[in-house]
Amino acid sequence: MSTVAIPAPRARPSALARAWAFVRRHTLTVYSLLFFAYLLLPIGVVVAFSFNNPKGRFNYTWQGFTWKNWAQWDAIPDLKSALTLSLEIALIASLVATALGTLIALALVRYGFRGRASTNLLVFLPLSTPEIVLGASLLTLFLNLNNVFAIGFWTILIAHIMFCISFAVVTVKARLIGFDRHLEEAAMDLGANEWLTFQKVTLPLIAPAILAALLLCFAISIDDFVVTYFNAGNRVTFPIFVWGSARVATPPQINVIGTAIFVVAVTLMLANVVLQRVRESKGAV
Amino acid sequence: MTDQLTRRQLLERAALGGAAITVPGLLAACGGTSTKAGGGGTTVAHKLAKTLHFSNWTLYIDNKPGNRHPSLDQFQKKYGVHVAYNEDINDNASFFSKIQPALSSGQSTGRDIIVMTDNSRYPSLLVKKGWVEKLDKSAIPNIKNLVPQQRHPNWDPNRDYSLPWQSGFTGIGWNQKLTEPITTMGDLLGSKKLKGKVGLLSEFADTLALVMAYNGDDPSKVTDKTFNKAIDTIQKAVHSGQIRAFYGNDYSGPFAKGDLLATMSWSGDIVQLQADNPNLKWQLPDTGGDIWTDNMLIPKGGDVYTASVYMNFVYDPKIAAEIEDYVNYVCPVVGAKQALLKLDPGIAKNPLIFPTKQMLDNVHVIDPTALNNQKYQTTWQNLISA
Amino acid sequence: MGFFHRHRGLTPYLLLAPGMLFLAVFFLVPLGFLAYQSLETGSIDFGYHFTWAWGNYWDAIRHYRGHFVRSFEYAGIATVLALVFSYPVAYWIAFRGGRWKNLLLLFIVAPFFVTYLIRTLAWQTILSDNGLVVRILRDIHVLGSGGRLLATATAVVAGITYNFLPFMALPLYVSLEQIDHSLIEAAEDLYASKWKAFLRVTLPLSMPGVVAGTLLTFIPAAGDFINAQLLGSPTNHMIGNVIESKYKELLDYPAAASMSFVLMAIILVLVLAYARAVGTEKLTG
Repeated sequence: MSTVAIPAPRARPSALARAWAFVRRHTLTVYSLLFFAYLLLPIGVVVAFSFNNPKGRFNYTWQGFTWKNWAQWDAIPDLKSALTLSLEIALIASLVATALGTLIALALVRYGFRGRASTNLLVFLPLSTPEIVLGASLLTLFLNLNNVFAIGFWTILIAHIMFCISFAVVTVKARLIGFDRHLEEAAMDLGANEWLTFQKVTLPLIAPAILAALLLCFAISIDDFVVTYFNAGNRVTFPIFVWGSARVATPPQINVIGTAIFVVAVTLMLANVVLQRVRESKGAV
Repeated sequence: MTDQLTRRQLLERAALGGAAITVPGLLAACGGTSTKAGGGGTTVAHKLAKTLHFSNWTLYIDNKPGNRHPSLDQFQKKYGVHVAYNEDINDNASFFSKIQPALSSGQSTGRDIIVMTDNSRYPSLLVKKGWVEKLDKSAIPNIKNLVPQQRHPNWDPNRDYSLPWQSGFTGIGWNQKLTEPITTMGDLLGSKKLKGKVGLLSEFADTLALVMAYNGDDPSKVTDKTFNKAIDTIQKAVHSGQIRAFYGNDYSGPFAKGDLLATMSWSGDIVQLQADNPNLKWQLPDTGGDIWTDNMLIPKGGDVYTASVYMNFVYDPKIAAEIEDYVNYVCPVVGAKQALLKLDPGIAKNPLIFPTKQMLDNVHVIDPTALNNQKYQTTWQNLISA
Repeated sequence: MGFFHRHRGLTPYLLLAPGMLFLAVFFLVPLGFLAYQSLETGSIDFGYHFTWAWGNYWDAIRHYRGHFVRSFEYAGIATVLALVFSYPVAYWIAFRGGRWKNLLLLFIVAPFFVTYLIRTLAWQTILSDNGLVVRILRDIHVLGSGGRLLATATAVVAGITYNFLPFMALPLYVSLEQIDHSLIEAAEDLYASKWKAFLRVTLPLSMPGVVAGTLLTFIPAAGDFINAQLLGSPTNHMIGNVIESKYKELLDYPAAASMSFVLMAIILVLVLAYARAVGTEKLTG
């Protein structure tokens, strides 16, 4: 902040001013690095305590290094099934929500039609509703339509698809807006029909956005606690397992899973960054 | 799950007056018939299920490394029934809210035995709503071993629906390394040295009973006057910043860590917490503590016969003693003390498990009508979330 | 696909149908049920009945005004803090990140990859009364000898700020990144100082990011109950905690439902007022 906040006389670049400029330039860098440290501090704690060797039930003071928690990551009853459920839900929910969201985004960007404004509003509203209200209202629905939906797997899945759709729409839409329609027109001129054009031209071009939406939905779904907490009934997802164990004593295996999810996600992201780099450098040559 | 439940629900709603029947309510009642046609009443099959689904509180059964529970293994050996044992109860309220959607829509909870505390409103609510099955007493001859004091609770006078699992005391725990002994509610709620480092329990009955006793009122007869007085006492402590938080089972972490110097806590927990922090001590306050009982119940749709056979099994004094050897709570089974004397004499003499007369004279039982008073409950909930 | 050619007008609706139907059934209808429930009276023991009980709303506001005020206060402070903390970093990445931009962004989103509850629990460990942070703050007399961070308003606001930082930083980055550098250079030539150039050009151009970021932070923060639960004491509880306990502990559904609506209404009013004030008409994109 200080960098932008301190005015520097621009007309006479004295030695002092240049020194100032140097300090300022680095202030921003130093600040940013401190900021990153702050962002990563809790993550460091999570990772470190996955290697802790607590004597009793509690995993909050450092008591020695061990691989044990990693080797026996599923030694805690129900942890594995909670994780499996979370993965299943996240996978299905992200696929369905991305498919539905992509279609909505296509309609919104490509077509003028009556009801566009209200469509936009309906997509925007779930994003601006606090999670606790989303969760509570869905539970009310499921409770009042009892026997239509048994509270459990399906209600969790429905809830996750619901709050993922809007995110998928927003992500895909952003890409579609900056999309060159001439390519499609060219394909049509060459005799391709609408469907073929979509398959051969549109889809490959928006594929990165679809992938991004998929990943985003997956990440949001696997991390969701509040909405799930209301609609899970008997079933236990990983975040619900964490909540339950936080009330008693969080075993280090929780940190193991947390760390593992983190590492997988970061690896995927890194791979993506590297891939982009490679592609860009190829394109430049 | 059964037609009977559905009919009862419908009658219940109808009894409240035709105008009052809500659309969702009707949907709820009618929907019931569509599930499991031919469930046909509650005739008990005298056939053991393959698996018994048992939900219990954490650290509440015998335990061996590798998460083995020897008593459950013995049960399997004897009856060929595998017990799917789940420690998924952290506090009464949140567990109830977990199973309530299934129960209110007539679906099975997927459990055959659950354990809930009698100083919460839930056991009596479950009975009143018809959400629990009757025990098959013909399969529980060992019911004769139930200690006499526990035979006629007012919410289930003939023990038709429930059997005690364990009982326990609510008292004061303190960290002897960080503070001098705290044995009065006065110190807990007022001592300046403890400011911001005191925990109270979020269970309505626990905190209320101890504070009322401290005020010189009788917790077994709650009146508006004594209730409000107790609330005032607690409110003062909250506003002065004395109280850090209201806890369920989760006081154990901050207490063992040293963030709490003293806290209201449950008797058996302390023994287990001492593994983490040997400086933790526990006592009933001078003005008296509180006693409660956790009860085994069969939620609607559970396997009555298999659950009853299991209950009979744990009411065998020898098995009860084996479980007691680990859990350190008050045992409801006559004869378990003799059995435990042989097994582990040190523990058998622990007054937390087989309490002395002096201890029992110094504990109160909360007025059950107060538990179901919606006004009290709301006032309480508002207090603990300030 | 001759069908699409003959019925071009239908295509957008066909694309929209599945997703919008899903949102209608599982977002709008539940809100309807919630509204219905908010006007019921009764108790869990005897059941709830619809009685047009508008008094529930009055009760919600009368009894819990303190919680509402506190929620918006905490959310507001956290949003401002998040904006102030992350703007310089977003600026730094956008303008100085060079080829490392994507990698640096990874640091910003990193906290998202550790389960929400787990990172909040990590803060519990970090801010513990006997932890390093509190010990240092005591040594330098920022905190008194008996002072603490955990179970205070400071910890709750800090937790909210941390947990929603990426929601702020990402939109900020996106809008800053899109700014044409030559515009800024021109502005720097035009105005006397860099600071002025920043105020007149960069900041206004980044406003869409500021608006999106503040909304994305403020809305979930106002409805949050996790941070107050895990890092606060009863005197720090927010309206989310009350709604949660009404739903899950007291089973007082009408009260919980009416409070949810009051929360939603206040948020909508604030959002609209805010949108008006900053003059962003295209809030819904």
